[in-house]
Amino acid sequence: MKQKLSQKRKISSKQKQNKRIIHVLVLMSFLFLTLIIYLTYFELFIKDNIISSSYNRRLWEREDKIVRGEIFDRKGVSLAHNEIVGNEQERVYPFGPLYSHVIGYNSTTYGKSLLEAKYNDQLLNINPLNPVTDLRDKLTGSRSFGNNLYLTIDHKLEKRASELMGRRNGAVVALHPQTGEILALVSKPDFNPAESSLEERWHELIESEENPLLPRATQGLYVPGSTFKAAVSLMAVDKGLDNKTYEDTGSIIIDGKKIENHGKKAYGTLDLENALAVSSNTVFARIGVELGEENLNDLARQLGLGKKISFDIPLSTSRFDYKNMGKTDQAAVGIGQGKILVTPLHMALITGGIANNGVVMKPYLVDRVVTANGFILKDREPGEFFRLADPDTAKRVKEMMKGVVDKGTGKNAKISGVSVAGKTGTAQNELTAQGENKEHAWFIGFAPVENPQIAVSVILEYSGSTGGGQAAPIARELMVQWLKEQGLM
Amino acid sequence: MSVLKNYRSPVNIVALINVIAFGLLSLYQESFSSRILIAGSLMVVFVYVANILVIKLKFEDEILFLTVSMLVTLGIIIIYRLDPVLGWKQITWFIIGNLIFFCTALIYRKINIWESLVYIYPLVSLALFLLTMFFGTMVKGATNWIFFGDFSFQPSEIMKLVFIFFIAAYYSNPEKLTIRDLKIFKRTVNVESKWVFMGLAYLQMGLLVIQRELGTLLLLFSIYMVLTYIYDYSRKFILINGGLFVLGAFMSVKLLHYVQVRLVAWLNPWADIAGKGYQIAQSLFAIGSGGFWGTGIGLGQPHYIPEVHTDFIFSAVCEELGVFGGVGVILLFLILVYRGIKIALGIGDSFHRAVALGIALMFGFQSFIIIGGVIKLIPLTGITLPFISYGGSSLTTSFLALGILQGTSSSKFMAEEEIYETEAESEAEDKLQAETE
Repeated sequence: MKQKLSQKRKISSKQKQNKRIIHVLVLMSFLFLTLIIYLTYFELFIKDNIISSSYNRRLWEREDKIVRGEIFDRKGVSLAHNEIVGNEQERVYPFGPLYSHVIGYNSTTYGKSLLEAKYNDQLLNINPLNPVTDLRDKLTGSRSFGNNLYLTIDHKLEKRASELMGRRNGAVVALHPQTGEILALVSKPDFNPAESSLEERWHELIESEENPLLPRATQGLYVPGSTFKAAVSLMAVDKGLDNKTYEDTGSIIIDGKKIENHGKKAYGTLDLENALAVSSNTVFARIGVELGEENLNDLARQLGLGKKISFDIPLSTSRFDYKNMGKTDQAAVGIGQGKILVTPLHMALITGGIANNGVVMKPYLVDRVVTANGFILKDREPGEFFRLADPDTAKRVKEMMKGVVDKGTGKNAKISGVSVAGKTGTAQNELTAQGENKEHAWFIGFAPVENPQIAVSVILEYSGSTGGGQAAPIARELMVQWLKEQGLM
Repeated sequence: MSVLKNYRSPVNIVALINVIAFGLLSLYQESFSSRILIAGSLMVVFVYVANILVIKLKFEDEILFLTVSMLVTLGIIIIYRLDPVLGWKQITWFIIGNLIFFCTALIYRKINIWESLVYIYPLVSLALFLLTMFFGTMVKGATNWIFFGDFSFQPSEIMKLVFIFFIAAYYSNPEKLTIRDLKIFKRTVNVESKWVFMGLAYLQMGLLVIQRELGTLLLLFSIYMVLTYIYDYSRKFILINGGLFVLGAFMSVKLLHYVQVRLVAWLNPWADIAGKGYQIAQSLFAIGSGGFWGTGIGLGQPHYIPEVHTDFIFSAVCEELGVFGGVGVILLFLILVYRGIKIALGIGDSFHRAVALGIALMFGFQSFIIIGGVIKLIPLTGITLPFISYGGSSLTTSFLALGILQGTSSSKFMAEEEIYETEAESEAEDKLQAETE
């Protein structure tokens, strides 16, 4: 009996053991399942933030095996190419700093920026079929080349714009109003994007108060100042205010806030056209109030303020930060001050839109992607982007902007034999608010008025001068240069 | 061949994967060499020969060896792809490992002294430890390798098996370690067997702390805890051990710098990506770059990960064979553990049953610890991935363990007759037990 009992006990203990062994099997399955779930989770949700780190040398691996594509201007001038020194490849930018805010840099240490980043896959010819084509190249013994980019930039115009800016900080954007092609895109200060130069100067570049790494033309946000009056005129014409006249006494008080003309000058009786020509603050402040909150909000929407614009390189979104507007706000918007911030490129788009009878064309910088042996992979066609005014309104404002250059503040942009339209701006900013004489000088314009070939926006930061004085001559030179290149002068 | 008929498809799949992988490698390697094709053919021949032998010798469980063939195949493909020289060495180790496997599986059945050596095992561990201390060479901050000329060997690999045998020997005869009539200060004390066992187990694990073998330590502790859970029904004993683990972990984080470094690298590798977090960051880059389908054999850049051919080989698998490939490896290990536990359940002899369990757990925990480490699920502790990582010590020990597992599955140790009990019987028996107590 006792023996049988002990045997039974043994069996019972074994059963208990078996039960626990099954528990352990469940535990092991659970552990392995955790691994699988975490691995899947990592792949779906975590990895994207991780693998773009510049410490991930995979991003550079392809760079050694393939000759990175070349970048050309619209006429085939090489703006960036690879030079092979022994086994190493080096990215060469023949024009140094000139394209630092268009093409960007391609550095093993600091990563890639602008076009070098956005078009990396094309430049390195990365696509899902690579293993197959690579294998073919390996078997045939040919070396792999990336694709080349042809930009819409005109190197001569770009160079001229940069020279005209000189050492002044700011930006110049020139585009073709009828196609949306970017012809010149200059931001100052700039920097030399060559790898060796970056390594040498990186700390200086990131610590400098002038922020030379900021592409101002596309990512700088500025108060538009009086150039915005051209846009306000669109809405004013649309609402029939162009038949009205205003009495300009040099200053006006709206809701207890005093608004003065530049130099406190009184212009007497002005209609909309003349008010724009002399850039009367008192008249446009009143027009702002007369248009009212709803119309001004509509205008901002029509101009694309606050709308994300897709472009070939990162573009800041212009801002119109009003939830509700008081009268002083409406007056400020009327003269382009207040909570409006625009990029120089956006200002050029608005200018081009007016020039193109109300239609803003999609802006683009890369015209063609072409394989090393000349096969065109991608060929961009101009396309309409949005409409900022109906054709008649735009035509009316075009005429008024022509008046600005013919007889108003924009005389410095006048070209003999060519009709030029424009608008000057002298924008107050955080420094002028402290009483310093540091206004931004703006100019927007286009030519010829009857068949626009070029629209330009120029801003000189904290220049302390008027847009008509400093910015208009730069725009003029660029228009002359471009029209001459086109054989129109 | 008739033996192949029944198991035709699995072995053929392993062989086919060898053919495809080595074929691709020959196309993608920098310079074509016929050595790759020879290596591939050698692998195919050996996989067939070994698997046919397993069936011919009437081993109880063919799936076990088949699973391992697949794991080793994946390992060799990746290692060969990383470095053909290491690939050849690993193929050599694979062949030696196979020999060890068959010898062990056949010899193990014939020797029956393992159970009685319970006092010997801790001494063997200590001897291996002292051997490393006096003759060892410092590699990556830890003295755990012994070099004989060109030949290196990691004693802690053997310590794992010794430890499992120790636990198995104890639980097959739990009273053996009792110390009677111990004289302390003229008083006579009896020390319960359980505490002597615990002391000796911790002593062996303590040696690993000195050797800085965190991964192996964690592995041995997991095996120890799980076997204790299975065999020791005292809740108090398990709680004490759990408490000691927490205390030990806390103390080591406070006191041991190399533990702190690993913890910091796990919590935020990005803070010091160029330093402490470098390895784990590179591992995550590799896994992330592979995606679900992988770049394909030879098309990724796993060589950016330091120690990729040993501890980080799983990341290389994920990069080139994708997360699906990684999941495949995880599932293969799950099959291995499942078959191991299944074998254990069928063994009647309690010592061999414990050994089989210990080995199955060793494969399971070891793969979990290192895979979890390289994907940053748990802190990284250096340990090899069984059967896949490069290295003679690791591969031969794994085959040794597999041989023992196969040996325990011999019909000799299997339960001679299954005794089924009905629920009622079991209840009655419980009552009986209560009465006698």
